[in-house]
Amino acid sequence: MKYRVYFFFIIFFPVYSFSQETRLSESIISIAEELAADESDPEAISLYIEKLFDLFENPVMINSADQDEISRLFFLTDFQVKILSGYIKSSGKIISVYELANLPGFEKETALMMIPFISLGEVRKENAYHSAWRNTLITNIIWKPEYKDSSLLGSQVKILTKYKFSANGFSGGITAEKDQGEELLQGNPPLPDLLSGHVAWSGKGLIRRIVIGDYSARFGQGTNINTSIHTGLSLHAPGYMSARSEIRPYTSTDENNFFRGAGAEFSISNLSASFFYSRNSIDATLSTEPDSEYIKSFYTSGLHNTSSSLLKKDVITNLVYGINLSYNLRNLRIGTTWSEERFSLPVRPDLHDPEKIFAFDGNSNSVYSIYYNSLINKILLYGEFSVNNLMRHAVLQGLTIRPSDRLSINLFFRHYDEGYFSFHGNGPGGSSNTGTGKSILGNFMFEAAKHLFISGGCEVQEFPWLRYRTSSPSYRIKRAIRMRFVPNDNLLIESSYYYNMTTADSDEKNRIPELKNLTTRSLSTTFRYSLSENLTMGTRIYYKLAEQKDTRGMILLQEMNYRFGKLPLTLWLRYCLFNTDDWDTRIYTYENDLLYSYSIPALYGRGSRSYLMAGWKLSDKADVRFKYGVLSKLQTGNIYAYSEEFRLQIRLFI
Amino acid sequence: MISLHRISVSFFITLISLTSPGADHYRLPAGAGEAGTGYSCIMKNGFWSSFHNQALLADNQSFTFGVNYQDRFGISELGTRTAGVIISSGKTSLGLIYSHFGYADYRRNMTGLACGLKLSEKLAAGVQVDYFAEMVPGEYEDVHLVTGEAGIVFHATENTLIGVHLFNPVPGSLTKNSMPATLRIGAGTNLNNLLFAGAETEMSSGNPIILRMGFEYEAAKKIWLRSGFSTENNSFSFGIGCLAKFIKIDLAFSTHERLGITSSASLIFKIH
Repeated sequence: MKYRVYFFFIIFFPVYSFSQETRLSESIISIAEELAADESDPEAISLYIEKLFDLFENPVMINSADQDEISRLFFLTDFQVKILSGYIKSSGKIISVYELANLPGFEKETALMMIPFISLGEVRKENAYHSAWRNTLITNIIWKPEYKDSSLLGSQVKILTKYKFSANGFSGGITAEKDQGEELLQGNPPLPDLLSGHVAWSGKGLIRRIVIGDYSARFGQGTNINTSIHTGLSLHAPGYMSARSEIRPYTSTDENNFFRGAGAEFSISNLSASFFYSRNSIDATLSTEPDSEYIKSFYTSGLHNTSSSLLKKDVITNLVYGINLSYNLRNLRIGTTWSEERFSLPVRPDLHDPEKIFAFDGNSNSVYSIYYNSLINKILLYGEFSVNNLMRHAVLQGLTIRPSDRLSINLFFRHYDEGYFSFHGNGPGGSSNTGTGKSILGNFMFEAAKHLFISGGCEVQEFPWLRYRTSSPSYRIKRAIRMRFVPNDNLLIESSYYYNMTTADSDEKNRIPELKNLTTRSLSTTFRYSLSENLTMGTRIYYKLAEQKDTRGMILLQEMNYRFGKLPLTLWLRYCLFNTDDWDTRIYTYENDLLYSYSIPALYGRGSRSYLMAGWKLSDKADVRFKYGVLSKLQTGNIYAYSEEFRLQIRLFI
Repeated sequence: MISLHRISVSFFITLISLTSPGADHYRLPAGAGEAGTGYSCIMKNGFWSSFHNQALLADNQSFTFGVNYQDRFGISELGTRTAGVIISSGKTSLGLIYSHFGYADYRRNMTGLACGLKLSEKLAAGVQVDYFAEMVPGEYEDVHLVTGEAGIVFHATENTLIGVHLFNPVPGSLTKNSMPATLRIGAGTNLNNLLFAGAETEMSSGNPIILRMGFEYEAAKKIWLRSGFSTENNSFSFGIGCLAKFIKIDLAFSTHERLGITSSASLIFKIH
């Protein structure tokens, strides 16, 4: 699983009087569309959105001054958490979110970004932990009527159910999921395709957290262990934010990239230690040779809706264990991580394929890493070095400078050696994976005038070995610039330009193909305006050009969000027309969706995409959300083909 | 054997499509005042613009009647004749429009019944039910279609209006017709007491985005000069209008990069 989440994008959402969830969506849109456009693993988006919704629904009690509580704002750096906590302790209480922008290490955008996810309300005496039992049950049902395939084992309905409880620092939960085409219950004993659970305890003393069951972990910059959300830089990022090391209960739906066992965090003064142990069953494609059983490849989609995919389910036992130690000095944090990973069968790549010459071969892998981050005046330095048992390494180094309160500049370099593997690692970088290669990235964020923000960046990636559809060393260049204008609380205007140049094999046959450049440029403009407290409108225009084929794509969409005054009802409407010449000029558009869910269709061809979503709050203990979407596409012969989708969500709080 | 009748119809259908590549043929070509500003009008109050965006009907507070003729490239067979009436009733106004395009061998008639309502001080909305009939004598089958359109207009500031209009928004796959859906979004502002400027974007299903902009300047008392530009055929437009007691007369001319000039004339009678 290769996560790449640029949560820096959310730095751009403004303070406008849109509804809370509209604000949240603004932050999600940029991130999710960028992820989707890079064709990263959809689970990365899922995880990110889940984190944001979780924060949105359970905002951080910022005035608690508790570092653990504040660190739930996963987009803040360790230093920002520390500074914020210290400020609240010394000054008492934050009255306005605008105070945050004046803190050292913070900037206006960071403060704005935090708004939907924090509460300035009364601090609970029990700190971050509820004293009463709190139960939450959420069920999503997704049905696509036209999704019919006789080879599928189960119904076309996708069902996801999550149950969580918490009280006095204790928490627990169960997640069950059945994807489209999967059987409702399978195996012996009959269980859902994904069944995940955990119990956890969080405290303030020596033992900070213990999780038994399914959990995720991240240490340092993530090149060694990171099954949680991936931090990183985008071309628009105003600064680098390194997420805190953590062991957290796992509640997402990726069926392979999590730990199953036990993990614990301990802390004595400035020293923190984490231990983890996991024994999980994962999916893989095995060899069919009778005398030599080995892993041909890992199967990571999580779909088990056909007989052949079901044969890949849970066929490998994956054992992972390790230790992380970190020590805090005043403005310096240093840490080290060791992890060991074993598979029940060896991995044997096809070494006749030149692309796989450096692929992992064997059944165990050890990784050692050291990392640091340090704040010196207005300069943030961070880096990590990891090496595996083959003495292949990964190194990254970053620098953030804030020469003035209105300008921040980032530089970031990473290098992943051929032969460096970390199956549960996911370090930062501009690429969607932590595969081999080098990249250097620079970006800036500038408050050019009152209410006007300009940001941009450039990244150059070098791939010294062969890649998919690329038979020789290659490179990639990305550039972007974005302007955001927020003249008042009710209006947002944003324009952005992207340039993406990558390489791929030419179409020549019977010889080693030469590389050809594939360049796309896209321009998008968004207007978002709030007509009243209850009504928000949005207009977006996209234009995309694929240079080599000279093909074009464009989209015009209008959306509306209305909250009824007297009824506990909210409506979301979107009407979108698209016209693209081919797949290369496809455009990804984020859609409002059920809570803890998302929809980012890639629109191509000619047609329209519309949806209507309604959310009804039945009581303080229950709400329902329903979405109907329809995609209509013009086919040859002036005939329209369409696909409908129904989504239903029920939530209960007890 | 190919009949002359077929050739005639095919020729005009081809010509119609040539005149507006990138646009749908169901867009109302009414209003010389609107044509003068390049049809960037879904946010600008006016008699004919109320049928381009029915939300504007709510601002018509009188009984008004109008006729319009559009002469496309000087070819009488491509002419469009339109008549409309607006009846006001407090916060709600009703409108009725009839449009006829074509000639004896190819006719397209459109009848629309519209209603506009002021929802608040800043917001108005409107809907219209349309009936289209395309008739070709002889062996061709007549086509009859019923569809709808709707729009909203709101005051972003005291002098700035934003309009959004949807035509035939139900996906063709559901209605089983091939009529295009169209989305128009525009903003206009009164830069001062004499000058209005507007910009609009339009997209029809299966067609590229069109951008339009236009302005209207009150050069003398009750005399208006207009100009506009549309990326559809890189068309420039010019117009003039004057108000004499209860009659408003408008003239407009717009260019086509290949096919020549389209002229429009309209009369609007404010009865009460």
